[in-house]
Amino acid sequence: MRRVFHILLVLLALIAPAAGSLEALEATPIIEETEPVLLDVVPPGPPCSLTVRDYLENSDFGDKIEIEWGLSPDDGSGACDVTGYILSRALAEGEVGEVLDEISSGVTRYIDESVEPGVEYYYNLVSHDGTSPSGRVWAGPTAGRANLFQWSRFSVLVLMVVFFAMVARFTAVAGKGAKLFVRRIPGLNAIEEAVGRATEMGRPVLYVPGIGEIDNIMTIASLNILSHVAKITARYDTPLIVPTARAVVMSAAEEVVKQAYTEVGNPDAYNPDNIRYLSDAQFAFAGAVNGIMLREKPAANLYMGAFWAESLLLAETGFEAGAIQVAGTAMVSQLPFFVTACDFTLMGEELYAASAYLSREPKLLGGLKGSDWMKVVSIALIAAGIIARAVGLESFVAWFQTQ
Amino acid sequence: MATIIWTTIGAILTLSVYSFLYKDNPFYKFAEHLVVGISAGYYLVIYYFNFIQPNVVAPVFLLRIGNEAIGLGSSMWWLALIPGILGLLLYTRFFPKFGWVGRWSLGIYVGGYAGLGLSPIMQARVLNQIGANALPLTSITNVFLIVGLLGTLTYFFFSMKHKGVLGVLARVGIVFLMVGFGASFGYTVMSRVSLLIGRVSFLLHDWLHLI
Amino acid sequence: MNIFERFMNIDRRWIFLAIGIAVVIPFFFPLGLPISVTEPVQNLYDALDAIPPNGQPLLLAIDYAPATLPELEPMSLALLRHAFRNDVNVAVLTLHPAGYGLAERALNKVAEEMGQVYGEDYCFLGFRPGISAVILGMGVNIVNVFPEDAYGTPLNDIPMMDGIRNYDDIPLLISLAGWGAAEAWVLYAHQPYGQRVGAGVTAVMATDFYPFLDTGQLIGLLGGMRGAAEYEELIDHPDEGVRGMDSQSSVHILIIALIVLGNIAYFGARRKRRQMEREAA
Repeated sequence: MRRVFHILLVLLALIAPAAGSLEALEATPIIEETEPVLLDVVPPGPPCSLTVRDYLENSDFGDKIEIEWGLSPDDGSGACDVTGYILSRALAEGEVGEVLDEISSGVTRYIDESVEPGVEYYYNLVSHDGTSPSGRVWAGPTAGRANLFQWSRFSVLVLMVVFFAMVARFTAVAGKGAKLFVRRIPGLNAIEEAVGRATEMGRPVLYVPGIGEIDNIMTIASLNILSHVAKITARYDTPLIVPTARAVVMSAAEEVVKQAYTEVGNPDAYNPDNIRYLSDAQFAFAGAVNGIMLREKPAANLYMGAFWAESLLLAETGFEAGAIQVAGTAMVSQLPFFVTACDFTLMGEELYAASAYLSREPKLLGGLKGSDWMKVVSIALIAAGIIARAVGLESFVAWFQTQ
Repeated sequence: MATIIWTTIGAILTLSVYSFLYKDNPFYKFAEHLVVGISAGYYLVIYYFNFIQPNVVAPVFLLRIGNEAIGLGSSMWWLALIPGILGLLLYTRFFPKFGWVGRWSLGIYVGGYAGLGLSPIMQARVLNQIGANALPLTSITNVFLIVGLLGTLTYFFFSMKHKGVLGVLARVGIVFLMVGFGASFGYTVMSRVSLLIGRVSFLLHDWLHLI
Repeated sequence: MNIFERFMNIDRRWIFLAIGIAVVIPFFFPLGLPISVTEPVQNLYDALDAIPPNGQPLLLAIDYAPATLPELEPMSLALLRHAFRNDVNVAVLTLHPAGYGLAERALNKVAEEMGQVYGEDYCFLGFRPGISAVILGMGVNIVNVFPEDAYGTPLNDIPMMDGIRNYDDIPLLISLAGWGAAEAWVLYAHQPYGQRVGAGVTAVMATDFYPFLDTGQLIGLLGGMRGAAEYEELIDHPDEGVRGMDSQSSVHILIIALIVLGNIAYFGARRKRRQMEREAA
């Protein structure tokens, strides 16, 4: 029946050639057919509407535009011969522009993912039956805009708010003078023992605050511990040598040590010549500190702060020289060397904890307590995740995986 | 010919540096100073031509590539002045009286970078890891992983004394940490040996053509 | 001084010498020990192998400095050989100022060896400082960060970069770094933009990167010279990495022996000391 209808249409077209259908006759068939079929020269009806708008779902970066249309009257009904749609995009009104995609019949939505954010585009759509295209429907202009809020990363916001709230709360509490409990770090006893032994032996204490700049949080933590060490050496009248690799760290260390000696009531024992700037160059600094270890023979070497490849050079020379050594750093890659070559090591966060414990500075205490409770939150979330997985609630775990 | 000369210079410098293994000597010192001096000069040139020139000098003085002002559109050239001036302010530290002005630039720099890092680090280092560690406890490996994680986190928990269950967990944590350090030490040895192999290969292959 | 104590106090220069010999000998008498390919290396190989030829480019960040050259340069050579053999275009850049010359050196060497054409098969974008800002900026538009290539040609005039706007057009990014750059690519290219990232790092850093492999934040990983050797095996083009493996193995055997001997000597010396203390008492 359908074939007969087609033949009739062809005959009709032959006897009444219209301009549009002639064009269609000359046009190359859009979809190659394997079986030879009679040419269908009557184009299907065009899509009945076309709307374009910025894509809003799933929080994009403004690089997507959503296109929707109403089905051609011949798609699924009417002549029922629509085989697909052709979507094109142009930068100027009235132009056909580049073909974006060929879409199969029955579909009414397309997401253009190759959009430059903020650029205005014009879209046009035709339906076709494998040979003849319909008239064009036009829409636009529209531009892709980045969404204000990315919902897929909501979990990041939630956790960040929780973390900052905890830090702010603990800092405020500590600032008001409330006593926040921080357990004593075993490494601190080791520092005191080391200084004690240097005093007994009548030899100096060497304190290396790392080679980090002053803006490095490890250097700041180190200066807090230096203040504590300086108070002990001031009390015992033990010489304290502080070699530095950064000029600004040297002036900060001078201030810290001088202050400590004054606080203990022994300002005369402070020797500014012992706070030294050696070199900014990593290995030149390491070489010079090694020189101090061999020549001035300190009985206790304390390495606290940010260290890189020079860590082993320092700790090994100190070990060879027979000094008691205590190290502390949050540079994870250097910890193995300190653990091997030193008598005691403050690992990672212990350095910050020691600094907060000694200084009682509200900001440091707040940060330490905040990160402590963040660990509890993390453990709780992992536990919840394990349970969720066990009962098949995969979406809970997926909520964390933001990419 | 040129290659032979350069390779020989490289080889002599390599041997000078390794002579330190025997003891400190003038050859080593010469090589060390040469490296420091050359790298300072090299960095200056690279930074200028790859950064200051295209990002500050070119837009401000309207040098153009093709028809387009470099980086920013031609009407936005003045935007490049802001970081340029902030950068220059860093040099105020040479004048003790105005040194404090440089802190503005430093503040913007540190604050900006901290802000840029905040969200990605929270995602990559915390959230994704929480998600990845919510493992079904159906295999020995998974149980091992969770116990290790729990122990290590407990070891770095400072708000309570390490007694009772907490003490046990913290002890487990320290064992895991030490195993981790051992692995990382092993990798480091491998790394350092690779560097030596690289230099030996340079000496034997590129310089002496013995292999 | 007994034998244990003498061993404990051995002049370390003897150890240096022994290690030197252990490195040199296998160069002349190769042991030819087999190299098995580990999963992270295989994954990176598969990811690069899956990139369609002559289309969107592999972005290779050569972020290393001379200090880590022996571990990381064999990786860049192997990766470039693999890409060029598959006709995959490669865009190279560096986030380390000292990486500029090294990137050029590796790129020119392999390109010449395999007859590749600049601008069509590969290009070198050069160096930009400011790590996270550079990586994030490229997520919006690469041209904003690299308006021109390293030699002053506008990026828009480079044929292979035609239609390459941002990470959406980069099927794979590999960072080779001896410092934090590889992690920065994960943090600032993978996290915000979903870029597929692979890494090649020094052996020292390898352990730090395993958590990223577990979560899929990294596609694959080459760790140290060993990782390079495995990749060379995969592309069937043995070079520096494979050549160094025998020396690596012989030094490892020597070091394990020294650790065992050191422990025997330590406990032996301690026992002897205690024995003497007991006798004295």
